[in-house]
Amino acid sequence: MKKKGVGIGISFYGIGYGNGFPDVSKAVVRLLDGGKIGIYTGATEVGQGSKTVLSQIGAETLKIDSKDILFICEDTSLMPDSGTTAASRQTYNTGNAIKTACEKFREELLDAAQRELGLNSVSGLTMEKGEIYLNFFPHKRISFKELSKTYKDNPIEVEGIFTAQTVEMDSETGQGAPYWPYTFNACGVEVEVDTLTGKVEILKAVFAQDTGRAINPKLVEGQMDGGFAMALGYALFEDLEIDKGRIKNNKFSKYLIPTAMDMIDVKNIIIEDPENTAPYGAKGIGESVTIPITPAILNAIYDAVGVRITEIPVTPSRLLKVLADKA
Amino acid sequence: MNLNIVGKDILRVDGLSKVTGKALYPQDLYIDDMIYGKTLRSDKSHAYIEVDIKEAEKIKGIIKIFTYKDVPINHYGVVFKDHEVFCREKVRQIGDPIAFVVGENERVCKEALKKIKVYYEEIEGVFNPIDAMREDSPKIHGDTNIVYHYKLKKGNIEEGYSNSYVVVENTYKTHMVDHAFLQPEAGLAFVDKENILTVMVATQYPHYDREEVAAALNLSQEEVKIINTNVGGAFGGREDISLQIHLALAAYTLKKPVKAIYSREESFIAHSKRHPLIMKYKTGADKNGYLQIMEAEIIGDTGAYASWATNVLRKSGVHATGPYFIPNVKVDSYAVYTNNLFAGAMRGFGATQVPVAHEQQMDILAEKLGIDPISIRMKNIFKKGSVSATGQIMLESVPIDRCIEEVVKNIGFSMSVGRG
Amino acid sequence: MKEIKLKVNGIDYILNIDEDIRLIDLLRDKLRLTGTKEGCGEGECGACTVIMDGVSVNSCLVMAFQADGSNILTIEGLEEEGKLHPIQKAFIEEGAIQCGYCTPGMIMSVKALLDKQPYPSREEIRKGISGNLCRCTGYNKIVDATEMAIKYIKEEGV
Repeated sequence: MKKKGVGIGISFYGIGYGNGFPDVSKAVVRLLDGGKIGIYTGATEVGQGSKTVLSQIGAETLKIDSKDILFICEDTSLMPDSGTTAASRQTYNTGNAIKTACEKFREELLDAAQRELGLNSVSGLTMEKGEIYLNFFPHKRISFKELSKTYKDNPIEVEGIFTAQTVEMDSETGQGAPYWPYTFNACGVEVEVDTLTGKVEILKAVFAQDTGRAINPKLVEGQMDGGFAMALGYALFEDLEIDKGRIKNNKFSKYLIPTAMDMIDVKNIIIEDPENTAPYGAKGIGESVTIPITPAILNAIYDAVGVRITEIPVTPSRLLKVLADKA
Repeated sequence: MNLNIVGKDILRVDGLSKVTGKALYPQDLYIDDMIYGKTLRSDKSHAYIEVDIKEAEKIKGIIKIFTYKDVPINHYGVVFKDHEVFCREKVRQIGDPIAFVVGENERVCKEALKKIKVYYEEIEGVFNPIDAMREDSPKIHGDTNIVYHYKLKKGNIEEGYSNSYVVVENTYKTHMVDHAFLQPEAGLAFVDKENILTVMVATQYPHYDREEVAAALNLSQEEVKIINTNVGGAFGGREDISLQIHLALAAYTLKKPVKAIYSREESFIAHSKRHPLIMKYKTGADKNGYLQIMEAEIIGDTGAYASWATNVLRKSGVHATGPYFIPNVKVDSYAVYTNNLFAGAMRGFGATQVPVAHEQQMDILAEKLGIDPISIRMKNIFKKGSVSATGQIMLESVPIDRCIEEVVKNIGFSMSVGRG
Repeated sequence: MKEIKLKVNGIDYILNIDEDIRLIDLLRDKLRLTGTKEGCGEGECGACTVIMDGVSVNSCLVMAFQADGSNILTIEGLEEEGKLHPIQKAFIEEGAIQCGYCTPGMIMSVKALLDKQPYPSREEIRKGISGNLCRCTGYNKIVDATEMAIKYIKEEGV
């Protein structure tokens, strides 16, 4: 018999290394030949889109097109250490470092423009689309490109550093401020359970994720879909089957991860509530998107067939056994 | 805030190179005169070893076989330096690296792997973290298998129970899973024209890799360079060292470019896993559905190496309550060594497992109290100004209420009392 | 060694190959067409998908000598006169790419699907790419991109 059920799961997730550990990101911003802006950080592009998102933060701060940014994050001899690309920390941490660096860089450029334009002060200087001009006499104007020629031998360069604030917890009571900031989310699913085969099918899914602010909504949705798929595999079928330390399922023909046929269209909802300490309010979401899905599925299975699954994955054989035990 | 670029769907900067096949991953790198490396790995979970490479060295095309004897500093690890570059006298898990064979091509390397003789003297292993916590259990490292114990105490436990109308007690278990990123580990190392030892690899943290490579080879960090190629997925599985030191050691010793590519099967035994957790939960609420108490004991199996176990089980402990205000809380969270494959970072990092427990506890409480699953959550969730179990104030940006409301509104059916 | 003739991305090759190498080895090691990726070596992940005589194949499961006389299209052959194929364009625009390792194989599978069936439903698209694993995207944006590509192909008459 096929039975339907609904369930919800919610979660919170603390960003960063945490627990008082110095969580430092650095970024260097440099005026390059031809007027492009180089951003150098150790934040790694692992597919999540950090190169794009962090370029957007830089471009926004310098009021330029993100295409005018050269983003370098590949070579340890060229870039400063920005900590690990993990703990959902790069948008928040390195994003902050880039924003700080770009703000300082902006001041340096304005100072340089003042000198080159022979002005008395930076008052009234406006930076826009790769140019700096005096807003009440726009004839006084110099481009990044021109500045880059002037400063060719001694390029304008600044470093931005951001250190996240956390407090180490007491070793006996656990009291402290282990992470900051936190992201929140909720997921609702409808499932259909086949009580004869033990197979669970996801019929419908709605997923709401707090981002603080979404720097790039499409990339956030991509994370949400990907997190959902990974959690779906975790809840229902991925299993290494370890026997005395030996993996039985050590290849993709045996270790099953979700295919396009296992996934469904998820209704993704981005919730924005900007966080003051974050760059443009953006918190990291790379990990939290994996978290509330599994419990939502487990609660939906209970709603459908009235059994609590206390051990995952809910493979057909496990579900059939639990159903048989109940009957 | 008036924003021009933030908030826009700017196209991925790496999109073009990825749709045209031009994006290079480590397996896509070729250099003239490069030679190849393959790793010999333990086939036993817990054993003393002796290694004889004499036969293998004689194979035509084999250039050198590296073992622990060739490594200046044989230890590394993200938190504790409990990993060995090559096992010296003991293997602790299946897949432990024992030797690195370098030859003219992959074929001769594979042949040599078969000719290396490893004499295993097996020791009793322990595969269940609860057994491993016992004093008389076989020890993986040192004199205890308990790597870490996180303690959290808030309020008054007795009061919590006496204020509760219902208390729900269950034990939940999660299993060990793999990141299964699509690009298996690979790398290429060489000494460049400026005499810098260069390792091209796909990693989550190039500066950490540089530190470990330099330390193992007893070089200064300035003498080492890591170039991160395109990374074919990571999810936490590329935080620990895999082949970086092996490649660097071979390239530095032989002054030749050395390349290695893991098969999918090798990838599965070479990198970390998600910690399996055993979670014993006791949660109580008053008649109106307000949470009064949560007690949890969490035991995490970190396998043969600690990797991020302390931080993962700490994260489990801190997130054990879920996003709920609970006045009285006690959590004990343990990370334990066993002879299973080592567990480390994986997307969600200890916070992914605990909702399997706390979210089911919430639904069970709701049903017992005759409240629906949405209402019980709305009563207890963090709001601006809520104080977490660790005493931290949720100062701002706490839109969990809006997340729940949007889900309820959009799912198109009522989330009412469990029908089961 | 064995001599084989084949066409890859419109170029004719005569190659001397070891009989035990696979098509993927020939493409990557001999021709340096590294856009074709290896993810599992057993035909499960689809990262090595190429189009051989109009049919999508896992190039890790085809021996190089079996490709004698065939016409192969890889990801590198998809652009025409420096212009992206509509599927490539749609993948970029719809956010169907993350780490990118599955992307070339995925695009080749979509191409093979649309060549055979120009107007598939979402479910048919899912089925058509079900031999290609992706761990990052959850596939939905790949399905979106395929729908966008169908639109582009219709508009451009490719």
